[in-house]
Amino acid sequence: MTSPAMHSSLGRAARTWERARRPDRAHVEALKSRVPYWFVVLVLLGFSILQIMLNPFGFSDLTQRYAQDIANLLITGPYLYPTTGRDQVTVALIDEESLHSLQMPWPWRYGDHARALGALLEYRPKAVVIDFLFVDERNDDTLSELVDAIARYKKAGVPLYFEGGINLPYGEAPLLPKLAATGVPILDPSIELYDGVARQYPTSGHCYRGSGGDTCLSAALQVFKDVYPQYPLAPLNDKIELVWGTKTAPINVKLNHDANGKPQPCSEESGALVRTYRAFFDKHTAQSACPYTAIVPIQALMMGLEDKDVSALIPDHVIFYGGSLQGAQDKSFTPVNSRLQPNVFVHAMALDNLISFKGRPQQNVMTVGGTTFSNNPAQIMAIVPIVLILSYMHMRRIRWRQKKTTRKEHGAMMEWFLGKGVEKLWHWLAFFLALGIGLLLAMWVGLSVANWVEDVFIAVELAAMLLIGVPDSFWGYLHHVAGGRPAHSEGAS
Amino acid sequence: MKRLLLITLVAGAASFCALPALAADSNECSSLSGDAVLSARTPQVDLYDAPNGKRIKSVDQDKFPKCLAVTQRAPNMMLQVSVDGAVVWVPPHMVNYRLTGKKPAICRNLAMGGNDTKVGATRALGEDCPQKVGAP
Repeated sequence: MTSPAMHSSLGRAARTWERARRPDRAHVEALKSRVPYWFVVLVLLGFSILQIMLNPFGFSDLTQRYAQDIANLLITGPYLYPTTGRDQVTVALIDEESLHSLQMPWPWRYGDHARALGALLEYRPKAVVIDFLFVDERNDDTLSELVDAIARYKKAGVPLYFEGGINLPYGEAPLLPKLAATGVPILDPSIELYDGVARQYPTSGHCYRGSGGDTCLSAALQVFKDVYPQYPLAPLNDKIELVWGTKTAPINVKLNHDANGKPQPCSEESGALVRTYRAFFDKHTAQSACPYTAIVPIQALMMGLEDKDVSALIPDHVIFYGGSLQGAQDKSFTPVNSRLQPNVFVHAMALDNLISFKGRPQQNVMTVGGTTFSNNPAQIMAIVPIVLILSYMHMRRIRWRQKKTTRKEHGAMMEWFLGKGVEKLWHWLAFFLALGIGLLLAMWVGLSVANWVEDVFIAVELAAMLLIGVPDSFWGYLHHVAGGRPAHSEGAS
Repeated sequence: MKRLLLITLVAGAASFCALPALAADSNECSSLSGDAVLSARTPQVDLYDAPNGKRIKSVDQDKFPKCLAVTQRAPNMMLQVSVDGAVVWVPPHMVNYRLTGKKPAICRNLAMGGNDTKVGATRALGEDCPQKVGAP
């Protein structure tokens, strides 16, 4: 036996279920216009959070990285990124042509490196970072020459850095004990790759000297901190978003020749429009074949003759001494180069960014009031004002529509054109709103374009959702299922 | 204004006095024809037993002889000279030297790697395999 109360609640549930299954279209349509502001905000925010957090089909990552590459090629590289860093960083490179012309096959002996370092020191660089790993013990009696070279750097007061091996499987020392015993600083050579492309750079790395806790600064950061004390390094978390310059160092353009010795341009000359077309539809032709950072081939140094290019590129510069050797597996793609680039250029670009941005590089996180927000929360925070503004404008539009029914109607064609115009304006408004907020964040907290550009796409999606009235319909349906009745229906009953 | 004039005069006089000293190196060895090592450039000059050889000793700048005829130039730019009767090789960056003939041009093909291919092999470095710590 059932009580009347239970009978009544069962009946209510059955009617609710029936309304959920077969909603009254007219009721839903009428209830749509009663959607409250908070509900619109909730729906849009929920949609945005889902898209940002769940990364459906890898859409977030792809959008971020694609936009970062395009921004590097079309906006930041050619127009915004200064050459301040480029003019202070040089790569002294051992490449195949060095080995061939010097007739010094790879691997070089310690003494050969010592000679190259000695030649560098003669030009009084600001600091030298050695991008070769000296891990393996080998039968080479010239090790003492490299130890002496380190001593000469110390005597000359030029900072010299070595890099240490990481995750070595058999417990080998990260740097040969005899070299480490000189007290030379050892840096972590790690870089960040995403699909083989170097777009980010770590802010922290291994500590090799047992001081500084579990993590120390990454290679470029440590060098910047030591060599540029005039620019205090901002507290950095997670990763640096590298901005790759596109104004290739003039020496690289001068050096670049084909196999027959004929001068070659590093990239095809083009105006902004053609470059834009190429960036979107034929990316390789918009990229440069040459590295961005200035190169000094090692034999130019070893010759020891006066050379105005070398004299301009080494003194008071930070030098990365590295290699570009086939089969050494030390190359990556970059967003602005059409060819694989030796990873020494990634370290050089990271330092370039730190110098150009005076110790406040672009990041994949944002720090506000001492609190660091990772990528997803940062994007969610950035989308909140967009959601609030779009929702507010949507509510105004609903009220305006309700009032419009009392006004004079336009012709059908006029209505169509007006409708299309408003639709376009609405999408562009959302687009520019998100773009503006993103740019503000980039300038204010150094959040990289890659980490807010998805908000621009989401903003346009939200605008489209509002245009077809997704939150309104959802509200109308829910309200109807919950038993809500439109005003005219209430009056009739 | 007076101070500026004074500084200009002092700087001018200093440069005038320095000129003969700067020119001395090249004039000093005018009796030598061909390539020549004029003097030491770095605080110490390393002497090697072969172009790709081992350092045999380092000589202080003031003890390094001047005006040495270069008897041979190696492809790696090392210069063969005779010091105290011994034939040795010196790295060119450590000495001031005179080069007759044309300086070798340094050009590069900077479009180094492939744009969609990568070497799928590791360079054989010629080193011994790393030994496991404690392994026999």
